[in-house]
Amino acid sequence: MSAFSANTPRQTIVAAILEEDDAKKAALISSLSGNASADIAPLMAAWKEDAIYLFKTPEDKVIPVLLAEEKDANGKQTAILVEDASPLKDATGQPVRILASDLDAAAHDSNLRGVMKGVLDLQALANPNPAKRILAIGTLGMAQDPDKLPALLSRQSVETDHATNRAFREAIALIQLKDESPDTRLKALVELKSLASLASYDFVKAALAEASAPPENPAIAAAARDAILSIDSHRVTVNTLGTCFRGLSLGSILLLVALGLAITFGLMGVINMAHGEIMVVGAYATFVVQAIFGEGLDISPFGFHLPIPGMHLSGAKLDAYFLVALPVAFLSAAAVGIALERTVIQFLYRRPLESLLATWGVSLVLQQLFRLVFGANNVQVYSPAWLSGNWTINDIIFGWNRVFVIGFTIAVVALVWVILNRTSLGLLIRAVMQNRQMAACMGVPTERVNMLTFGLGSGLAGLAGAFLSQIGNVGPSLGQSYIVDCFMTVVVGGVGSIAGTVLSALAIGVTDQSLQQYLGNPVLGKILVLVAIIAFLQWRPAGLFVTKSRSLEG
Amino acid sequence: MTRTFSKIELLLIAISALLLIVVVPALNAMGMISDYSINLWGKYLCYAILAISVDLLWGYTGLLSLGQALFFSLGGYMMGMYLMLMIGKLGQYKSDLPDFMVFLGHTFLPSFWKPFYSPLFAGAMVLLVPGLLACVFGYLAFRSRIKGVYFSILTQALTYGAALMFFRNDMTMGGNNGFTDFRFILGADIRSPETKRALFIATAVAIVAVFVGCRWLTRTKFGLVQRAIRDSEVRVLFSGYAAANYKLFVFVVSGLIASISGALFVPQVGIINPGEMETTKSLEAVVWVAVGGRGTLIGPIIGAIGVNWMKSWATQAYPDLWLIILGGMFVVIVLFLPKGIVGLLGKLLGLFGKPNTVIDESTAPHETEAAKS
Repeated sequence: MSAFSANTPRQTIVAAILEEDDAKKAALISSLSGNASADIAPLMAAWKEDAIYLFKTPEDKVIPVLLAEEKDANGKQTAILVEDASPLKDATGQPVRILASDLDAAAHDSNLRGVMKGVLDLQALANPNPAKRILAIGTLGMAQDPDKLPALLSRQSVETDHATNRAFREAIALIQLKDESPDTRLKALVELKSLASLASYDFVKAALAEASAPPENPAIAAAARDAILSIDSHRVTVNTLGTCFRGLSLGSILLLVALGLAITFGLMGVINMAHGEIMVVGAYATFVVQAIFGEGLDISPFGFHLPIPGMHLSGAKLDAYFLVALPVAFLSAAAVGIALERTVIQFLYRRPLESLLATWGVSLVLQQLFRLVFGANNVQVYSPAWLSGNWTINDIIFGWNRVFVIGFTIAVVALVWVILNRTSLGLLIRAVMQNRQMAACMGVPTERVNMLTFGLGSGLAGLAGAFLSQIGNVGPSLGQSYIVDCFMTVVVGGVGSIAGTVLSALAIGVTDQSLQQYLGNPVLGKILVLVAIIAFLQWRPAGLFVTKSRSLEG
Repeated sequence: MTRTFSKIELLLIAISALLLIVVVPALNAMGMISDYSINLWGKYLCYAILAISVDLLWGYTGLLSLGQALFFSLGGYMMGMYLMLMIGKLGQYKSDLPDFMVFLGHTFLPSFWKPFYSPLFAGAMVLLVPGLLACVFGYLAFRSRIKGVYFSILTQALTYGAALMFFRNDMTMGGNNGFTDFRFILGADIRSPETKRALFIATAVAIVAVFVGCRWLTRTKFGLVQRAIRDSEVRVLFSGYAAANYKLFVFVVSGLIASISGALFVPQVGIINPGEMETTKSLEAVVWVAVGGRGTLIGPIIGAIGVNWMKSWATQAYPDLWLIILGGMFVVIVLFLPKGIVGLLGKLLGLFGKPNTVIDESTAPHETEAAKS
């Protein structure tokens, strides 16, 4: 059998396995370069993992086979031909079942593995998924192997995707950076400069070092310096914009949590230390909804066993759980909030300090209840596919969950504004906020307004909890880690002012992220933010936006 | 108000002081009170001192500070630094440096640690560090007229920030593990029954001194202004008093008291870490005061000892339910017993027609607050 007579990739691989001569073996494998067949990658992987076995027929003919996954009682597996993926049959036409330990695996050495990797690398350049293509191109560029240059150039000429094309240019320039001719190197540097490619930073630095050492090449050194400058300035832009984006998304989360607090605090002068725990109610509600859509859940509060059956959905239907979880989180948190208002807070309207203490007691009770019902450990909430990806635009990563939370927060703030300013409930709320006694005299049912407002504020916290479950794990003490930040947001914004809360949440979010980025240390950044807030309150003790009042002790 | 102390009161104070400082330690020396109990009660007394400091601010001046745990642990840390250095070469790594420094790869003692070889310096720092912090923070807060819940939230933030700082390893204050494994204090073995007894006596002396000092302070004209600020700060201002200065003074004094209790607490429990600095610890101290009865000096002591005694019992008998009990108790007390146990006792005594001197001091602040809103 002539080595090159084989025509399908499978046949070529069979030929390569059976070939005795190392050089010819390698040549056979390399001949697969540029072949887009989907069979190649799994077969080569199997070969590398010693999963291709050599089956000897009674006539002493060697046949390369794979073994099917399922084993029978004796541990035997069906043999599958490498040549055409059909089951191996014996003379009587029955499928052959064999024990893996009875067979030898097809041999391979490091040289051969290298050749296989080369083939796979090049094949990845033709992967239909652009993201995978870009990854493969990046890997090739980093390796700076001149042998891969022709393949890259040929694939680039047929590439239509803009981002992938950019990756090609970057990889080609990186490889050309190793070229012997100074002119090519110079061209490569100019190309890298125009691309401002972050990945090539270290390579350009190396090129600069090489050009500065004897024998010196001033032109290349200058070009490398130019490229480094361009990359640096690009990096600053990327970092700044990325920080702003992360700051905005952090600010949005803070805003979602603090908005409810601002409403209850501003309206009723009540400090709700259990606000964080009400948020956690929303997070756990999301967890439970997810479990109902998925595999179900067993909880055993106080020794009672309470199984919650699941619907065992998958794919897009499972992902839709989050849309159901949002209203559920809102309603369950609002229900807890209203219950809290009716049982505890309504007795404490004129005693803010006492309300702080009593609600702290409630927060302890709630935390312990979470522990008893859902366990002391964090639970993981699965993110729907449409929240877990990201866009990379100009090297800045925009996570979909963060984009979504920003958009959602805008919607919620708009909705709250509409409720407060365009509905009759909003009118009543504002009336009570401005002058409770006068409103009561005019026939405003202040008790009912209090209850509804508290429900609204708590529901907003529940929504925030649903989002936090997408960003991190959910645990009984999740609320505690947000409550201080939240109070700060409300205090800085000015009590009872929605606009102030929006501004201060965004300002705190962006400042926090920038300081973290600048100092490279999250804790120090947080401390500085706290110090900055204390300093800010020296300047504006009542926050950004002060509700005007003639009361002396307002 | 003509005499600061009535005769009966003096007698009661003298009897309790004698009991705490002489009788109990003597019984311990004779073996009638176990070493474990002495240690436990030493701890309770430290908590009681902390509770008095909270009450001086909250019950008497109307400032609910959530930062008392910070001052408590700062005092503890200052004492802890001295105790860490006294371990000497007996640590796990047989080095002059405290174990955690060796572990983190430090080769020499940071310069601010060096003076802590001297117990006198450490003692001075127990007063100076929290005192200065209270001065600066209090000045800033009261100058911009931050009051009510805003003050609570800011002190909470301060404590939170400090805890974050102490959790960091490069602060060289032991990170999350803090300081522990102490060996010697003033040359004596810290684990011996004699030292424990001595520490108990020191704590007893401290609580008697703090009690008498606060009793005196609150009965002077100063104390009157203090309570006036609690009931209506605006009226105090209009009467020409610099309320901010009064508040600052009380804030610093109570910070110092908390710090002293922390410094006494650490050698008795043998550990200090940033966990002591969390806001929940401050709030717990507030619970003690609320349970015992704020606006009185005996209330915080009863509350601190009572709640902690209950905690020791409940965390063993019903570990899962302790937080629910604590939280629930707190809600009930705030809602139905704003004056705590002492108030309840006063009411009961009042039923029998006995006048009670304790109660008139604590005109319930919320009544006046209700009047003004």
